[in-house]
Amino acid sequence: MTASTPSPPRSCTSGPGETGTTPAERAPTARSRNDAEARWPEDGDEGPAGVPGFVHSAFAPLVVAVAERCLARRYGTGPLPPGNGTAVVLVSAGGDTASAAHVRAAVDAGDRIGPLFFFQSVPNSVAGHVAARWGLDGPVVCLSPTGDPRAEGEAEADLLLHDGDAAQALLILIELASDGTPGEATAVLLGEGTRQ
Amino acid sequence: MAERETVRITGTYALSALGRGADALLAGVLTGAPAFGPVRRFDTTGRRVTVAATAPDVGTLADELADAIDAAAGAAGLDRAGRAGSALFLATHGGPHSLPVPEGRDAPTVPALAGHLAARCGLGGRTRIYTTACVSASSAVADAAALIRRGDLERVVVAAGYLVEPDQYALFDAGRALAADGAVRPFSAGRKGLLLGDGVAAVVLESASAAARRGAETVATVAGWGRAGDAYHACQPHPEGLGLARAVEAALRRGGLPPEAVGYVNANATGTPFSDASEAAALTRVFGDGAGRLPVSSTKSVHGHALEASGLLELLVTVLALRHGKLPVTAGWLGPDPQCPLDVIRDAPRPARTGHALTLNAAFGGANTALLVSTS
Repeated sequence: MTASTPSPPRSCTSGPGETGTTPAERAPTARSRNDAEARWPEDGDEGPAGVPGFVHSAFAPLVVAVAERCLARRYGTGPLPPGNGTAVVLVSAGGDTASAAHVRAAVDAGDRIGPLFFFQSVPNSVAGHVAARWGLDGPVVCLSPTGDPRAEGEAEADLLLHDGDAAQALLILIELASDGTPGEATAVLLGEGTRQ
Repeated sequence: MAERETVRITGTYALSALGRGADALLAGVLTGAPAFGPVRRFDTTGRRVTVAATAPDVGTLADELADAIDAAAGAAGLDRAGRAGSALFLATHGGPHSLPVPEGRDAPTVPALAGHLAARCGLGGRTRIYTTACVSASSAVADAAALIRRGDLERVVVAAGYLVEPDQYALFDAGRALAADGAVRPFSAGRKGLLLGDGVAAVVLESASAAARRGAETVATVAGWGRAGDAYHACQPHPEGLGLARAVEAALRRGGLPPEAVGYVNANATGTPFSDASEAAALTRVFGDGAGRLPVSSTKSVHGHALEASGLLELLVTVLALRHGKLPVTAGWLGPDPQCPLDVIRDAPRPARTGHALTLNAAFGGANTALLVSTS
């Protein structure tokens, strides 16, 4: 069974107290509303479950855990029907630092690198994993924020929606802890902005 | 606000194994001699494949990016004030080690690279960094064009860089993505995979009105763009090219052009069996019977795959070729593949029959982009 398609234009994408754009870009013209939101960890979380095809690092499990939680709150079970135009916007300053450190150490030592590290070498991979699982057929965009991560992610989602390449966007904010262990992640389902 | 602004390219620069500057890039892709050779930049002992297209005497990625931005801004005739009013959209790999690190200090994150470049090059507008793998640069161009057309920004410098380095090289080798026969053969029978190549590029995009106020010459127009996902697999493209086809359709729709107006496609084709067939399916889906008569080439067969920078390098190839009136060749051709029934340019450049061309890119995660450029 598939979930319903995104409903028609909803209110704007920014969270309370935040703007989805910088002063250099046009400000959204309506008050914000998220269609669903999830965090990791939430009460009772102990550790994200492993994801088949992804190894060594908590990056992909954390992304999948928070994305699943967010999408399930809005849609129950997936996938969404074709043509839903749901973008995946993944924002991370550090990226998968645990995998990168492992690869760097292996290269320096002349050790063999497992092929799965190739497949998880870019954040697109886990974004695509989520997109495939839920049938999200909008654009996939990964950003490394230079300012407020949520504001930059919302600005990107706002642009994709305004431009028409996406009907809604799943924004994922993810940073591993400095020691590579699971850090924090947030997923927000953002509806179409209202413009004058 | 009505969408009104036409998006101009007013300055360009590129570095690749074909040389430094636009002239070297154009000459290289028209000659069609692959630039691959043994990797000497780092030790490839134990690797399955040991070749790539590397430029000699390159600096650090940060220095090369700064030089590229300076050169593109200079080509666009941007003065200090013009630079100060420009945004910087940067496409690069999202991991550490992109910036030279003083001894004893931790590697900075990628955002530090953008700040460093903006400060060094005098770009005072907002910065945004794209780490979305092999569609990083093309996504940056699409977003920049959308923001300019929407009237949010007047000018954006898009810069992208990848210099072949040991970590990504090892990963691609481990993933058996590299062509074991040392050649990239897009759309050809017997293709074995991709090979990596250096690519550092920068373009100045600005609104037509801003360019006109400065009296800046137009190199080309970014007429349309599209981005779409496959929703199929973490790493493999949809076998029918559904996402890429939707990206192309979106680019044509934004550009207000019918498919038959397109006279050239600079394909993503990496020389990888599955993904080249997927791209051929996408083109057939959009262009129908016309796909077999549409001149297509993949210049990755000459300059290699520049990963996050590939979209910008190939945009420049496309623009330069259109302006020159000659379409570049695809190297490495062995014979036709029934799964890729396309008119692949090989052996010699062809005359451009229209002033409109597409440049396509695809990436892990089912990410696809199409950029439509016009010189007429």
